[in-house]
Parts: sequence; C-alpha cells; structure tokens
Amino acid sequence: MKLFEYQAKETFKKSGIAIPKGVLIKSVSELRSAADKIGFPLVLKSQVLMGGRGKKGLIRFVKDHVDAEKNCSELFNSEFKVNTILVEEAVDIKSEIYLSVTVDPVTASHMIIACADGGVEIETLAVDSPEKIIREFVDPNYGLMPFQIKDIAFRMGIKRAVLKKFSSVLGKLYLAFLENDAELIEINPLFITRTDDVIAGDGKLSIDDNSAYRQTGYEKTREYYDSDAEYESALEGIPYLQFDGDISLMCAGAGLTTTVYDLINYEGGTVANYLEFGGPNYKKAVRAMELCLKNDSKVILVVTFGTIARADVMARGIVDAINRLNPDRPIVTCIRGTNEEEANIILKDAGLEPIYDTEEAVRKAVSIASGGSK
Amino acid sequence: MSIFLDEKTKVLIQGITGKEGSFWTDHMIGCGTNVVAGVTPGKEGQQVEGKDVYHSVRRAVDHVEVEASMLFVPPRFTKDAVFEALDSGIKKIVTVADGIPLHDTIQIRRAALSEGALVIGGNTSGVISPGKAMMGFFPYWIERVYKPGRIGVMTRSGSLTNEVTAMVVSAGFGVSSLIGIGGDPVPGTRFSEMLPFYEADKETDAVVIIGELGGSMEEECAQMIRDGLYTKPLVAFLGGRTAPVGKRMGHAGAIVSGGKGSVKDKIEAIESVGGKVAERPRFVGDLLKEVLGL
Repeated sequence: MKLFEYQAKETFKKSGIAIPKGVLIKSVSELRSAADKIGFPLVLKSQVLMGGRGKKGLIRFVKDHVDAEKNCSELFNSEFKVNTILVEEAVDIKSEIYLSVTVDPVTASHMIIACADGGVEIETLAVDSPEKIIREFVDPNYGLMPFQIKDIAFRMGIKRAVLKKFSSVLGKLYLAFLENDAELIEINPLFITRTDDVIAGDGKLSIDDNSAYRQTGYEKTREYYDSDAEYESALEGIPYLQFDGDISLMCAGAGLTTTVYDLINYEGGTVANYLEFGGPNYKKAVRAMELCLKNDSKVILVVTFGTIARADVMARGIVDAINRLNPDRPIVTCIRGTNEEEANIILKDAGLEPIYDTEEAVRKAVSIASGGSK
Repeated sequence: MSIFLDEKTKVLIQGITGKEGSFWTDHMIGCGTNVVAGVTPGKEGQQVEGKDVYHSVRRAVDHVEVEASMLFVPPRFTKDAVFEALDSGIKKIVTVADGIPLHDTIQIRRAALSEGALVIGGNTSGVISPGKAMMGFFPYWIERVYKPGRIGVMTRSGSLTNEVTAMVVSAGFGVSSLIGIGGDPVPGTRFSEMLPFYEADKETDAVVIIGELGGSMEEECAQMIRDGLYTKPLVAFLGGRTAPVGKRMGHAGAIVSGGKGSVKDKIEAIESVGGKVAERPRFVGDLLKEVLGL
C-alpha cells in the first residue's frame, strides 16, 4: 500500500525526523487559516499518489493570499482528482539529498540507497549519474551499524556541520522502515537548510500488503485507488487493474492473466480490465463478473488452468453469474485444470461454447471486440 | 536421480492435520512421495493417511529420519515454521504459503543462505518430479501437463505453469523436475541457484524457465550461462511483455520499478548468452526442438 506524502511525513515526525511546518486542507475555504498559521512564502503540494508531481504542475510556490487562492482552486479543479493539499512552509535550502531504504532480494539484505544529488527521481539518477548512487547492504540480523552510516555520509561528502543530524535522520529512517514493514521508505529530497538543519522535503512510504494484519491504522479508502472498480475489488481482495480497452479479463492466476494480457495486445485487441479470480477467489465468479460488467467492454474473456481453483467450480460459478447478472455482452471461456471434463459439460449445458486453447480464446475475444461474429 | 526430490526422499509435513495439509498429503502420497511423518502442535498421537503426527519438528526427527519438509502453514506463521525445520537440520524446505510478510521473507532467505539450506517458495505450487514424487499441490493426474520426461522447468507462476508445461508436453517432451520458485518479491531460492542442479542432473537435457516482468532472476540466469556454470540449452517464456510500467501485474514481484525489471531487458540478457525466449507459450515446444537439434 502506497501512502500519501502527508502520511509518510507523519511517520517521519513520529520517528523523530524533522519535516517542514505544514497543514493539510481539503478545500479552498481552509486555505486562509492554514496560510496564516504557516506564513508566506509557502508551497501547495497536491496529495496524489502518482509520481512526477512537479512536472505535472501539482506543486506550486505561492507568495501571498491572492496567489495562493488562485493556485489552490486550480489544483482542486485539475484533471488529477486532487482531494487534499498539503500547505507547507517554503524551506530555505542549501542542498538536496536522496535517501531511501528498501530490500535486496538477491543478498536477502536491507539496502540503503543514497545520493548527494537529490530532488530528481531515482530512475533518472540511475540513468544520468549511476556512479553517484551509493548502495549499502544491511544484514537484517544485526541492523544498520553506526560505522555504515558514517561511511555513507563520507562517501556522499556530507559536511561536518550536518554530519550528526544527517546520521540521526538515516538511523531513524532505517528504524521506521523496519517498524512499518515497508517495501520502500524514501526521503527525496532531504533538505540541508542554510542553517544546517536536515529536513524531509518529501516522503514516500509503501507498506507491504502481506503485513497489513500487523500494520493496522491504514484503512483502505477510495482515495488510494484510481477508479471505483479498483477500490471495490481491493475491498473484496480481488486483484484488479483498470484499463480502457474492449476486453474484460476474468482469469485465474497472476502469470496466466498477465500472459493473456500480452496475447490480446499481440492480436491487436485492447484490455478493459485485468481481473484475477483464481486462488482464494475462485468461488467469486458472480462478484468478478459484476466488476467486469461495470466496464464499457464488448466481451468478457475467461481463461483458467487451475489446480486448487477447480475448473468445475469455476464453470458453475460462471453459469451462475450469467443467470444472475444476465450480461449484455458475450462471454468467451477457456477453463481447464482440475475436473476440466466436468467443467466443459457444465458450460455446454448452459449453452456456452467452451474453448480449450488459450490463443484460440484470445482470437475469438479480439474478433468479437472488433465487431466480428459473436 | 531427479533434482530436489524423488520417490525415496523422506518428507515431513508441517501442518499435516489442517484441511489443506491432510488433503494434499493424500495426493502427495498418491503421486509417489515418501511421506514419513507430520507435525501439528498439540496433535501428537494422531495419524494422517497412516503417518504419525508429532507436536514439533524436534520430536518428529527424534523418531524418524527426515530429509525434506513440506509446509502447509499460514503465511504469518511461515517464518517460524521454516526456522523450526532449519533448527532440526532439515536442508530442503518447501512453503506454498501465499502472503508471507516481505520482511519475513528476507529473514527466511537469509537464514537459508547461512544454513546452506534450500527453501523453495513461498507463493508457489511447490516442486514435482513427475512420475516420482511431489511436494506441494500439482494436478499431477493431468497427463498432458505432468508427463515424465527430460525437460527441467522452473517457474514464478502457478496457472501459467500448467499452460506452458502443457505446450512442452504437446511438443512431445516431458518433465524431469519442476521447481516452483514462486511469485513473491523475495523467494527463498532463486532461478539461478537451481541451475547448477539441472546442469548436474543426468535426466535433464534442457531447462525451460517461466518468468515474468519484475526483479532480476532471469538476468541472473543469463549470468550463470555467461560464467559457464550452466551449459545446457535454456528456453524462456516471460509474461508481461506489454505490461505498462509501474503497474503491479498480479504477483507482488511482477512490477517494473526503478527503471528495472522490464521483459525487454530480460529477453536481451537471455538472448545475449544464446538462450531462447518464446514470444507465446505455444512457441516453447518448437524452440526446445530447435535447441536440442530435433
């Protein structure tokens, strides 16, 4: 679960990492009191989960109330569905640093990534100046050692005057990474101010979904998702991605669904949504089809090849869903795996024409979507 | 001799009395697996499929010899169960749990590396040597997928494994040993770490890897070939060629991030060392024929 900047900063604050003075607002009417509290000049930071906010014009520096109000209402009315804005003091900075903690699957370590040139995305840094990126591996049994922190600081050329504060921030960031079961915790940029203070200018925190049971306090709400369907399916525990094409995928197994996605693209078709109803969800055909039907797709394509997710159970689920939901578009099925013979009888009895080959099913769906025969 | 396990390997089942555990123990035995005992805390004295159940792994290994342990344990207790098996000196462990916390997976892999053990999974169907034995849940009775033969298969996926392996079989081949590495971002064992076993296996002529976007496991296989540590033919099928950047396609590990992990990069890496990459599952069989000179 990717958190908003303001949530990452709340976590930083709790961990003892300094953040700029800020107030979160949900409408223009809250702006004036927020601005009075912080004072000008200030920054309006749109709280959206997409990257590259600066380039998209979602971060604005403003100098007075008139300027602030104009920009604030522009942001709330922008195409990017901005629901909240972080009103923050404009920090007087000397330099910007990149700092993050993540995992390294190969060595089974925690990994600190640091760069003296912060403020740009790490992807850009990796391409433009890979030699400047510092990676330090941390043994999860022992944690981040003080000598490692010092070494990182020296390699980055951190000045003596800020060494203590920088070391403290890195140590605290590492602990926050552990305590929050983070996939990634990132400060970019980390400001070094003219008065040699070290302040988190921005924050990213992504919490491992598998740890949700022990990371309570982050409720799944609509604002974390790009679409209603993605939100609804997340509540159901059904993996779902929204696209805008013609073919709704209702498949089982992540790898197989991804492959069907590729095959549709190869055949010149387009995907309306990616939906997996395998694994623990294989009995949720009705709910899955309901989610597919919310799209403007022209056809629903079902492809499965399951073991525990039994073919007969899924076939019965599909027939049940058709009877209950009376879909207004054709359903193409390619259901295989445990008890597949029985599944085919169930589908044929319901008047469907089951297909057994994935590519044939994909071609049929693409043909229907492009106006071919049903 | 298969890699990882055959019909002689002495297998312990942790979580044997649970619904999944007992159901799949039955099937594992049906597939030929030499299940020697089970473990469920508090259930010692019971039997499942005629196998004795013990309170703990320590108590089980006091009574029977164990070479490998199969875990049917929920994700949040998996770390503990793996450490319990390692504590008793078990060097081959398979966990099928889907949803192990990321930070637990780091510790599991770390422990496996330092103990010199192989932990396979999580988020996998397990390991199978068709016609001999399996640890996990595979529909081994579906002959058009799980036919014994001489092709090794390694995979990050479940359903896709059935799809691709069916293509291997329909091209006239069969499977020697299939290892489900799993779909997590930090699997206990990586593709490249299994390649030397396939290299040494007299029953394997070539290896098919079923990979996808995200991570660097496919690139590491290319490095093994470059280093001369794996010299048999390699054919890959990789899902997610057309996946959009930044979207997580199903598996937690299946995401292009930090500019790394695209299928395009993986194809380049594999092809640069003479490996073959199939654009569609259907092409895997033909590529195998090509690399084996058939």
